[in-house]
Amino acid sequence: MIEKRLTITNKLGLHARPSAQVVKLTTRFKSEISLTKGDMTINAKSMLGVMALAAEFGSELILTVDGEDEKDAVRQIAQLFKEKFRDTY
Amino acid sequence: MADNITVKKIFDNRKDDLLLTLLNSEEGLKKKVESAEVYRPGLALAGFVERFPNKRTMVFGETELAYLNSLGKEDLIGSLERFFAFDIPCIIISKGIIPPLEILAMADRKKTAVFSSRRSTTDLVSRLSVYLDNQFAPTITLHGTLVDVYGVGLLYTGKSGVGKSECALDLIERGHRLVADDVIKITRKSANYLVGTSSEILGQHMEVRGIGIIDVEALFGIRAIRLQKRVEAEVRLSYWEDTADYERLGIDEKYTTVLGVEIPLITIPVSPGKNITVISEVIAMNLMLKVYGEHSAQDFSRRLTERLARAGNVGDYLESDYE
Repeated sequence: MIEKRLTITNKLGLHARPSAQVVKLTTRFKSEISLTKGDMTINAKSMLGVMALAAEFGSELILTVDGEDEKDAVRQIAQLFKEKFRDTY
Repeated sequence: MADNITVKKIFDNRKDDLLLTLLNSEEGLKKKVESAEVYRPGLALAGFVERFPNKRTMVFGETELAYLNSLGKEDLIGSLERFFAFDIPCIIISKGIIPPLEILAMADRKKTAVFSSRRSTTDLVSRLSVYLDNQFAPTITLHGTLVDVYGVGLLYTGKSGVGKSECALDLIERGHRLVADDVIKITRKSANYLVGTSSEILGQHMEVRGIGIIDVEALFGIRAIRLQKRVEAEVRLSYWEDTADYERLGIDEKYTTVLGVEIPLITIPVSPGKNITVISEVIAMNLMLKVYGEHSAQDFSRRLTERLARAGNVGDYLESDYE
């Protein structure tokens, strides 16, 4: 199991389209993936779950990945956060 | 959540319900409240401060005030000094009684808020306890779907894509009610039952693979939703495995524990052509039957056992009957 702290770096926060990017990526992995913000932990493969976090610009999330492809998953998800969800909207 | 309850929060949220007025300076509003309990500190005021639960919200009723008023000035100061030597979150005085000014002065020095409530002591204590219980109730968020099926709260769990949302949609079609999809906030109430709600942002929205996000209330109307529901059983949907051991009898019940509360657990294997909706309705009805004292599996098992025993007796009889 790997845990990693992630920060939301795009101005609009984790709104619908970036959330979809996150879910599209997480569902490619076999590992169990969850995101935690404050006292709320959600399944990162769930579209509504990711949006329910309502993670605004600058907020910190904890990514937890557990499974066979965890290393790869953490690397790619961190990359997506770093690239501001490749959000062009 | 329980870790950020301040006196100010209680005052802001409950001043209309508890008919509260702040009697001294606002300094005391910053204090944190760390206990869900309420205490009548008569004994502490009278001088017995061993085992004094000073973290609780203090309620002064007529008894406490009659006692304090009966004291001479020196004794009164002595009693209050003993009392305020402890760190107290706040004091609420019932029935709108105006307390001796010494209390307010001492409370100001200790930066402790003193409120007056126009409610009777019993009424105040019960309303305040209900509010504090809810505020301090343990909460978790789970991934799943919560549906009210025939009035029974079924919590569907299972891996992403196993068909929880589709099952819920089918149940809504048949007249059952959605509480929450994907993110379920579960709170333990009065230590022995669980209540599930949706997250504030999601409400009764669902995500269906291939369609996207849908608003269940807009599509199916008010009858299709419910804001909160007691969670009565977990239905775990799993992909069918030939080697897995699925329940065939149902004589022994399986349980799962959520926030320390045991609820029945039913594991249903999902495979093509299997109608989870009808199975869900049967699960709900079966749970209701058990509440009414009928346990289909156990009743059937008992009948079979009796029948076998009777058959055995007939055999004995015939064997020993040499007529």
